[in-house]
Amino acid sequence: MSWSIRFLKVFRSRALDEDLSEEQRFHIEARTEDLVRDGMSREAAREEANLHFGNRLRLRETSREIKLLSWADSVLQDIRFGLRILRKNAGVTLAAVLSLALAIGACTAAFSLIEALVLRPLNVQDPDRLIYLAYPPDSSDPLQGQEHDSFSYVLFQLLRAAGRPKADLAGISYQIVRPAIFNGSTGPEERIRPQWISGNTFRILGIRPVLGRLLTSADDQEPGKHPVAVISYDFWKRRFSGDPSVLGRWFTLAEKQFQIVGVAQRGFSGVEPGIGTDLWVPLAMGDAQSFSRPDWNWFRVMGRLNPGAKPGDLRAVLEGVFKNFHREVAAQWFAADEPKEHVRRFIDTPLFVRSAASGPSGLRRDFEHPLWILAAVVGLVLLIACSNVANLLIARIAAREHEMALRLSIGAGRKRLIQQLLIESGLIAAASCALGGALGVWIAPMILTLLSSLDNPVYLDLHADGAVFAFLVLTCTLTTATFGLAPAIRASTTSPNEALKTATVKSSNRIGLLRPLVAAQVGFSFIVLFVAGLLLISFDKLNHVDLGFAKEGVILFGIDAKDLRQQDEKARVLWLQLVGRVRELSGIQAAGTSGWALFAGGGWDNAIRVPGRKPDAFQPYYLEISPGFLETMRIPLLGGRDFDSQDSQPATPSSVLVNQAFARRYFPRTNAVGERFFRASDNNTWIPQMIVGVTGDTKYNDLRQTAPPTVYLPMRGGGGGTLEVRTALDPGAVTAMLNKEIPRIHPGFRISDVNLQSALISNTLIRERLLALLSGFFAVIAIILAALGIYAILNYLVVQRTKEIGIRVALGAERLRLVVMVVSNIALLLVLGLGAGLGVGMGVARFLASLL
Amino acid sequence: MPLLILKILARRGPLHGYGLTTQIENMSEDILRVEEGSLYPALHRMEEAGWIKAQWITTDNKRRARTYAICPEGQKQLEIEESRWRAVTRAVGHILRHA
Repeated sequence: MSWSIRFLKVFRSRALDEDLSEEQRFHIEARTEDLVRDGMSREAAREEANLHFGNRLRLRETSREIKLLSWADSVLQDIRFGLRILRKNAGVTLAAVLSLALAIGACTAAFSLIEALVLRPLNVQDPDRLIYLAYPPDSSDPLQGQEHDSFSYVLFQLLRAAGRPKADLAGISYQIVRPAIFNGSTGPEERIRPQWISGNTFRILGIRPVLGRLLTSADDQEPGKHPVAVISYDFWKRRFSGDPSVLGRWFTLAEKQFQIVGVAQRGFSGVEPGIGTDLWVPLAMGDAQSFSRPDWNWFRVMGRLNPGAKPGDLRAVLEGVFKNFHREVAAQWFAADEPKEHVRRFIDTPLFVRSAASGPSGLRRDFEHPLWILAAVVGLVLLIACSNVANLLIARIAAREHEMALRLSIGAGRKRLIQQLLIESGLIAAASCALGGALGVWIAPMILTLLSSLDNPVYLDLHADGAVFAFLVLTCTLTTATFGLAPAIRASTTSPNEALKTATVKSSNRIGLLRPLVAAQVGFSFIVLFVAGLLLISFDKLNHVDLGFAKEGVILFGIDAKDLRQQDEKARVLWLQLVGRVRELSGIQAAGTSGWALFAGGGWDNAIRVPGRKPDAFQPYYLEISPGFLETMRIPLLGGRDFDSQDSQPATPSSVLVNQAFARRYFPRTNAVGERFFRASDNNTWIPQMIVGVTGDTKYNDLRQTAPPTVYLPMRGGGGGTLEVRTALDPGAVTAMLNKEIPRIHPGFRISDVNLQSALISNTLIRERLLALLSGFFAVIAIILAALGIYAILNYLVVQRTKEIGIRVALGAERLRLVVMVVSNIALLLVLGLGAGLGVGMGVARFLASLL
Repeated sequence: MPLLILKILARRGPLHGYGLTTQIENMSEDILRVEEGSLYPALHRMEEAGWIKAQWITTDNKRRARTYAICPEGQKQLEIEESRWRAVTRAVGHILRHA
């Protein structure tokens, strides 16, 4: 008989019993008939047959035992019994399940985020053979800072040709949210995420279309000649509700017209986890300049290794090309007097071939470490919850000592007792996992929204898949083992003789196991608290760091003027008029414009030369500003004067402002006002500059950096910029006002987006805020759990010693001494736990410092 | 006991428990008496081992009875048991003759 049938019989045992007795009945009746036939009276025959058959019930028992898989039967019995016991102690059960569920939910959320962002391979064919290219940043130490992975079209062509024997390389651009207009749709521009890709990309990834066709190499031959696009399945469903007539539809993106020719396969949303791609257009449709300029880095290079080729082979082939390219461009890019070691380092930049099995991801780069930290924190919380439940169970088992003793004395085996208790723990764990899993599925998207900002929505496919389920099952098993095993083994060692003899249980006997648990719990929660504290403090510090400007009360308006050109006198005047007009509006305290907002992520640095100073590789930052910018941002003017409307006119030398850090670095002996220097232009000529004023130091786009030496250039106006407005008014009201006013100055002016300077800065702290918030939250949970656990144990101890305490009181013991007696029992443990926690916490702090 | 049950089932085809009892008793001329208390557990053990298989049938006088039939596995087992029995009786006979 197969196992499954045996197992089924466990559940069908009643029916089986009936079968058995029917068989026996038949036997007895048949014998009765025979005896009657032999001449016996029916009555006597029946009696004789029954007598002959023997004890029916015993026979049934022995027969049945053979039939049934006794183990499975006992498990089922234990489950039923366990459920009954758990129901009886509903309060304890609920506390245990809830605290575990909370911890497991947090773990599940952390795991599903890590799984989706870090562990899950790309949803493409054979992702293990995919690679991408990267190189270290141009800094003094190649191990410092984050790797770059952006390449120019010129270099890409060289690499692709050289790498062909080893791998098929594709160019895949970054996905930035862009405005697009679909023909035939009314309403404002839509914000979509396009991606420019080389024609072979879909072939390399092994993606199929669900509708129409995908991009091929034929779509990528001549720059500007292939206005076709493929949309993602999600976008098709979301934007076009899966309408097949989407094929052939035209839309405008980046001032070019494209026609949709296909829909990519379901489940493929691009090669970068964390960022969903809405549509793909050929690389050949990129900006015209991007094809010829070797310094125009705008896409990643990914590829698939040819069969048999190893990443090392590819690297060997490509690195030479990479260095040659650097040698050639170095001649153009660097001035003749550029320090030799800087040029040398640039040429010797190594090239890395990295696995792209789970896709290259900026989000992962930023959040992988924080997520692991978070996972460690929630893991600790889970441990705390486990030891809590173990406490509860031990205390409860102590109360059930009689039951255990009784069961042992009527012949239950130790194994059977352990099984019974483990099953009870397993039931708690299973219930907690079910609840926790649901909680996790609910929490994970909430964490994701914390990571997202308006300009950078995070997209992660968080569906609970097999991996998450496996994780839950594993967690369930491990938690059962962690909190269930110790009490179970403990209980099974009950000596029936002693337990039945004495009504009270010796407390010393039981507290033995509770001790390390209490210490561990205190230790764990201390570590969690310590880590959370560190993260909170570092977040708070960053939040209150001195920026050098006043972020509150400043609204930023992105202004587009597509019809205006840089270096155009008309544009210069219009931008000045814009500032002048906005400043006069009621409720506006100050206004100014700049090339981009501080902390918007943009930046511009370039080489300078100071007469009489040895050239070095250091480059200051630049920002174009209009008169009024300093006032709006409340950046103090320390010497000289602010820009006026004349400064933006072309002049030689042209006036600039510099900050104090710049002045200290380049003109340490003078007050810098009136000094001259040269800055490099795009075509490597030197533009003479004269300092007309010195401002206070401000951070540029990184809160952790000290304020970098910065040069402010007069804003000449052009196709776009940022309007900074200081006001106490509501942003919505100001936007409405400006929407009316701005086109009056020039019909081409348009507000493209609105932001708060303070929001922009806190967006750069998403990671820190996430860590601080969540670890703070978990620290609170950890403390509550630990407090509950300690309370439970103290309470248990006191209950155990009620009699003793009563006698002591009767004999005249003081209250205080009793309190000391009870508390001292646990105080040592607290100290031990705290000590251990502190030690580990210190280590963790050092580790954290290296991570963040 | 398994040897006798298997042999009878092999010879006579499917039989129910009571039939087996009477067969054994008749054929041994009432020397061997079958205890029901050991017959049924034995039958169920053998069923579990896959030597015999059981089936509910309805008898001539409209009563449900559980009959047992021998399986190929049981046939094999029968041969083993039979040869073992012969070996044992031969050995015992040898001792009785020559001791």
